Amino acid sequence: MTEFSASSRLLAATLVLLALAGCASTDATKNNGDPYENVNRKVYSFNDTLDKNFVEPVAKKYAQYTPNPIRNSITNFFDNTGYLSTIANDLLQGKIQQSAQDSGRFLVNSTIGIGGLFDPATSMGLKQNNEDLGQTFGKWGAKEGAYLMLPLMGPSSFRDVGSPVMDMFLNPLTYFASVVTIPAGIVSAVNTRANLLDATRIRDQAALDPYTFVREAWRQQREYDIYDGNPPGDGYENYIEDQGDGAVLRVY
Amino acid sequence: MNAPKFAVITALLLISSLASAVDDSAAKAVIEKLHESLLTAMNGGAQLGLKGREAMLAPVIENSFDFESICRIVTGRYWKSATDDQKARFTTAFKKLSVATYASNFSSFSGEKFQIEGSEADHEALIVRTTLRPSEGEPVTLNYLLRQSNDSWRIMNVVAQGVSDLSLKRADYTAVIKKEGFDSLINRLEKKSADMSKGS
Repeated sequence: MTEFSASSRLLAATLVLLALAGCASTDATKNNGDPYENVNRKVYSFNDTLDKNFVEPVAKKYAQYTPNPIRNSITNFFDNTGYLSTIANDLLQGKIQQSAQDSGRFLVNSTIGIGGLFDPATSMGLKQNNEDLGQTFGKWGAKEGAYLMLPLMGPSSFRDVGSPVMDMFLNPLTYFASVVTIPAGIVSAVNTRANLLDATRIRDQAALDPYTFVREAWRQQREYDIYDGNPPGDGYENYIEDQGDGAVLRVY
Repeated sequence: MNAPKFAVITALLLISSLASAVDDSAAKAVIEKLHESLLTAMNGGAQLGLKGREAMLAPVIENSFDFESICRIVTGRYWKSATDDQKARFTTAFKKLSVATYASNFSSFSGEKFQIEGSEADHEALIVRTTLRPSEGEPVTLNYLLRQSNDSWRIMNVVAQGVSDLSLKRADYTAVIKKEGFDSLINRLEKKSADMSKGS
């Protein structure tokens, strides 16, 4: 019960943030849509220090010693427990057929897939979709608002900050006792981080200013997700740059 | 709409579709060649070593990308105010880093396949849609944007799963120029290539 009231407080805080997002979103075009860059950069370096010294090394060891089939099953399991949120967001976005398919996927993987450890649904043509509350708001026309770097959780924005809250509430694991939720949360976090090792390797390899690199990559990825892989402005946008001759590309 | 107008429009549409059909194959050939050499690098892997892969890939990359435009775009509004010497050093450093990046990332083969899915014209540019299919797991979409420069098709941008390489680099590079200046950007690119070349 105490856990639930803590969650309620988190929800309340999020709702306040979302209300603020409505007020703040008009200013967001200034400063690259990143009006809190100074604070965000501090949070980024805090996250990065923690990651480089602790989380990433653990994730690397985990990836090194966990056989791929087991890693896949762990990923499948957490994807499946988190899938109710996807189904709810299908509905919120008016994707009725997709919500039916995703419900089918959840049922198949929860049963034949032994509690989600396996993913027989994909080979039955019920492929995994990626939806969350931020994408729903995006679909409804909400702009990013302001970019936010959240402690421990990474890139977000006013539009997207509610996603993890909704995901938590709709995840059955949330309602188990803390002897289950805490270890499950740790395994989930380490596994998620391990799945991101390639992405962070590319970041470390390519980025000169990792903060800017992550912000731009995250934004484009979100745009791609909101529009299910076909963002508008798909292709080639030719606009005149400061120097007059630059054909600059905003391409997906 | 009257009949002659309709005929003219139909004829124009036909001609433009024929024209794009021809251009299309030339542009696709550029992508095919790049993908083929990436597969060669992956297959050669450890045997070629990083230096061997770089040597093999360098001429292909040089001839596939429109580096002149790319260098101008990734440095944004700072390109115009850079000196000729800075522009030349930046271009050299950028090409070197591009080759080193491809050579260090495409270093081993485990059943991946490149597949051209189709293409479409967009203004004077052409988008070639491709996928990189690993032997297991989800395919990665890789879309190339090509533009004709000096009669040959050159890659302007690579978009992997919706993330545009060009705009990512532009944001990253201009942030560095703004804070530290153009010379610092060049130095940092050179350092990146040097660090990468220490690998194998």
